[in-house]
Amino acid sequence: MIRFVPRTQFGFWATAFPLLLALAITVVVGFLVMLAMSSQPLADTWTLLTFPWQARTAAVQWGFVLQKSSYLAIMAVGLSIGFRANVWNIGAEGQFAFGSIFAFAAYLLFGMPDTVWFLPVMLGFGVLGGVAWALIPAALRVWANTNELLTSLMLVYVAANVLNYVTTGPWKGDPKAGQAESDPIHESLRIMSIIERTDFHWGVVICAGAILILAFVVLFTTFGYSLRVAQNTPRAQRFAGFSPKMTVWMSFILSGATAGLAGAIFLSAETGKLIQSENYLNGLGFTAIVIAFLGRLHPLGIVAAALVISYVNVGATYVQSASQVDDAVADLVQVTALFAVLGTAFLSQYRVVFGRPDLSTEGAA
Amino acid sequence: MSDLIIQILAASMLLATPLLLAAIGELVVEKSGVINLGVEGMMLIGGLAGFIALYQLQTSECTMLIGETCFTFKNSVNQFQYIGSLIIAAIVGAMAATLFGFLTQYFRANHIAAGLGLTVLGAGLSNSLGGNFFGVDYTAAIVASVPPLFPKAWGDVPLIGPLLFSQNLLVPFSFVMLVAVWFFLNRTRAGLIVRAVGENHHSAYALGYPVIFVRMATIMFGGAMAGLAGAFIVIAQIAPKWTEGITVGKGWLALALILFSTWRPGRVLLGAYLFGIVLALEPRLKAIFSNMSLEVSYFLTALPYIVPVVVLVLISRNPVMIRRNAPASLGQSFEPRS
Repeated sequence: MIRFVPRTQFGFWATAFPLLLALAITVVVGFLVMLAMSSQPLADTWTLLTFPWQARTAAVQWGFVLQKSSYLAIMAVGLSIGFRANVWNIGAEGQFAFGSIFAFAAYLLFGMPDTVWFLPVMLGFGVLGGVAWALIPAALRVWANTNELLTSLMLVYVAANVLNYVTTGPWKGDPKAGQAESDPIHESLRIMSIIERTDFHWGVVICAGAILILAFVVLFTTFGYSLRVAQNTPRAQRFAGFSPKMTVWMSFILSGATAGLAGAIFLSAETGKLIQSENYLNGLGFTAIVIAFLGRLHPLGIVAAALVISYVNVGATYVQSASQVDDAVADLVQVTALFAVLGTAFLSQYRVVFGRPDLSTEGAA
Repeated sequence: MSDLIIQILAASMLLATPLLLAAIGELVVEKSGVINLGVEGMMLIGGLAGFIALYQLQTSECTMLIGETCFTFKNSVNQFQYIGSLIIAAIVGAMAATLFGFLTQYFRANHIAAGLGLTVLGAGLSNSLGGNFFGVDYTAAIVASVPPLFPKAWGDVPLIGPLLFSQNLLVPFSFVMLVAVWFFLNRTRAGLIVRAVGENHHSAYALGYPVIFVRMATIMFGGAMAGLAGAFIVIAQIAPKWTEGITVGKGWLALALILFSTWRPGRVLLGAYLFGIVLALEPRLKAIFSNMSLEVSYFLTALPYIVPVVVLVLISRNPVMIRRNAPASLGQSFEPRS
């Protein structure tokens, strides 16, 4: 008989064992998915795992991975701040959209400047846009006690409609385009690639810098400590003199800021123009939630999770084009990993004990 | 004018029914102390399963046979085939919920994280399976419409005709379920146990009630109802058609409904029909005022998502009301030996 006994000692193994188990589960289930979806599972799995070296140019593939993972990681780190304190902002997708909208608004507001020096202003406005949109659920939470999880999510749909409105209405560009879109921004405001002809651009570096700053805040400041208190013992938070309202405000400001920054970078680096929501918002804000939990809400874990998931995602796209395996494999692997991590997390608090209960040594805990 | 009102009411019944179904299920889940945020995902998976089932079950008659291949089909669906597809949808929804149940009840995963994961899983799985499930692309599949429950002539009866007699099977079913759930929760011993588990799982456990079993059962019931709600959206709301992400946040609206209702079945009904009327008004207002400005038009499109926010704010301003009715153990994992 298997029982779970609360751990009394927390060593390295208490953290590592659940993660290794989750990894093993993901690998096994992932391979089973491959068996079901592919006609040559071994070869396709090998391609999925080593695709950068199979592709014509490895740098291009690595560029995709870095680009995708930087958006996911920056948003997930921002979200994890709130998640640590049980503040649930699941509307990063909407804040991402508003980051893009504000960045484009700044571009129009300042008379479409054609200089690279304007780029920081644009990104700054993007951050503002994300924060502004995130402040709505935060304010409703603090002032009207409204469930922030639902309001932040509803606002995603509202933000998508705002994006659709500006691209079909006031900022409509080429009417002959197959989709509602704005005019493109000047070429000088497009974030440049670091390595020619890859998606490894300076936006990745900006994201990495922002992640470093946030990681420092979360891990080494009093504010970060107050979040950890709020996470583990919500009641102790007030006794220790930390204001729960402040936690809500800061969580939403920081997560909104990161999502807004990601949105502004996305506008500048990837599309160069606003596009109607169906073709512009591709669920990065929702995937970031998964990444935050996969990384166990720790900045290091999040970066690792973002890299791995992006690697699998880009790999699945590559396999799809190479041998017609649906790239939904990536979604399934991602969710399997999430469920495996969530399902094994309690093993860092509990030991697995085989055999019958021995009450004399364990007591009636 | 009265025609228009009846039309709007009939349409809002169609739009409110999936919200009501999903919310009834989630109400029981939350009453047992579990918060399952995966409603949207279960609706998508269940809806797709129902659609696939109906596609396979429908009677297909060849109207133009040239040689060995059939060029045009005439599909038809009867009530039994429809019910069959609904059962499949409910079973698949319950299966998805079981996954959530295992994670949260046996492996003590965070309810919110697991629920969000279920939504991601539902969206991803339904997108990929809907595009290619054993070689059939269900986004292009043609399924015949479900016939109305009552003879067509009855629908011409003024006033009650369009409201009562031209509705789909699930509309009366949702009312029956609402009353049944109210009766179950408030008037039966089993319902009392469910509420006890939701209020204080330690006391319930000490009294000898199987906390985890009860919660698994309510979670599966919630999943089945969400599956039905999804199937209703896919199959019965307009004509049967599968598109990616077809529920567009209806599952989240159902979750908002629970908060709005402060966990009372009667107010779930009120909220569902309030949201239903808002959803039904949008296209009709656009049709009547066809020269409205773009701002107003997009505001109307976003209105079904703005109204819940406003309503939630109004309800939540009184924290006592929420606290008095919310199950005390909501969202907490149960650990038997502490």
